[in-house]
Amino acid sequence: MKKTLILCGLIIAGITASFGQAKKPTIMVVPSDNWCIKNGYSMEFDNEGTKVVIPDYKKAFQQNTEVKLAVSAINGMMADRGFPLKDLEATMKSLESDAAEDAMRTSKSGGEVAESPIDILKKKAKADIIMELTWTINKTGPKKSVTFILRGLDSYTNKQVASAQGTGAPSMAAEVPVLLQEAVTAHIDNFNGQLQAHFDDMFANGREIILRIKVWDDWDYDLESEDFGDDELGMIIEEWMEENTQKGRFSTTDMTETMALFEQVRIPMYNAKGRALDARGFAKGLYKHLKGDPMNIPCKLVQKGLGRATIYLGGK
Amino acid sequence: MKNTIKKAGLLAMMFTAFALTSNAQISKTKKAQKDTDAWKYEIECVGIGKPGTKVIKVWSYSKKANVANAQSKKNAVHGLVFQGYAGGGQGCTNQAALVTDPSVAEQKKEFFDNFFELNGGKYMKFVSHSADSTPEIMSVKIKGYKYKVGVIVTVNTSALRKDLEAAGIIRGLSSGF
Repeated sequence: MKKTLILCGLIIAGITASFGQAKKPTIMVVPSDNWCIKNGYSMEFDNEGTKVVIPDYKKAFQQNTEVKLAVSAINGMMADRGFPLKDLEATMKSLESDAAEDAMRTSKSGGEVAESPIDILKKKAKADIIMELTWTINKTGPKKSVTFILRGLDSYTNKQVASAQGTGAPSMAAEVPVLLQEAVTAHIDNFNGQLQAHFDDMFANGREIILRIKVWDDWDYDLESEDFGDDELGMIIEEWMEENTQKGRFSTTDMTETMALFEQVRIPMYNAKGRALDARGFAKGLYKHLKGDPMNIPCKLVQKGLGRATIYLGGK
Repeated sequence: MKNTIKKAGLLAMMFTAFALTSNAQISKTKKAQKDTDAWKYEIECVGIGKPGTKVIKVWSYSKKANVANAQSKKNAVHGLVFQGYAGGGQGCTNQAALVTDPSVAEQKKEFFDNFFELNGGKYMKFVSHSADSTPEIMSVKIKGYKYKVGVIVTVNTSALRKDLEAAGIIRGLSSGF
């Protein structure tokens, strides 16, 4: 009897603990495009006649010690705050090794690992929040100083959620790595203060996501069709959004017959069952609403991290 | 007999001297405690310390210079918890207060009364006098205060923050996740 009671207690405690946790965003420090290109860590390619320059992170980490120092210092300080970060260099290595393993792997019947072009496109180092890092060395005579910029960008809403910037005290004696370490130490608390405010806002007003609705071109209907209720399909979707977002907060940025874009969508951190909610979990509600009676619209749900989801109408 | 009286007298004198010294010490502590109750101080950043620490100069006010000096550590920790400071020279950036909601001081009064207890309060764990710091004493003409004493101290803000997080006074970055 006693054992049964203890077991029940443990199970209840476990369930409560798992329900009490919201989905934690991943954060990664990335050297900015500006820093990479200025310092020669970039790649060029021809995109249908247009020259495109993109940062080469692998080269930067292999050849520049300062970037490793700065990233490592930030990672260390964030871990100290109880928020360990995803490491860009390690993530890139892991992606490479996964790709090599997948290329070599075959099933017992001789099949290869399936990979769609979208899967290939999505195979890159990513995080929910990017800490974009830029610094420049200023020289005035024998004195050196570091100008430091750290920006926290939400990968889905593209909003800057935190920032810290400034120029350190000029020094004749200190080496650049020392100045850089000082800059990180001086700015990280301010950055974290703003990040904390962003998280507090998230818990108070809901997670901000982006939801897109798209239509397959071989579907017989579109968002202006009135065959699914009293109003146009687009309007019915908007009504659902009003009822299910946190305090009805969302903006319809675009609405045409073939697409709808909802931005600044605030979703509750937990659903009615007390489970943590992200963009996919929220969009699943709309997906079920569209797919179920009486509308019976065939649709497909695709997610992008914690903060972005797309529903394609008219098929899988 | 004469010898015994002599010994007893000597013992009584020593006891009195000891009592007076400890009384003075208690009185000094009490004065410092009383002066700190008003939280009359100013803090400024004087440089970038090691990661997780802040090097600040704290100006404390009192009727006696040594009392002001005694309360400097306590004021420094209080300043970082409730005030923060503006940036300045030496690469200093502005530092927000660890407690962003001012009403927390009142809500958690009992915690902070114990935390800032001048005799053995927990605040002592997070602050130390800077090794090369000599107190800077200035005379002031403010009602109730005669001296303004500036002392450079190092505060371990990382440990201080963790302690306040553990006590549920402030939220950690990963709270709720």
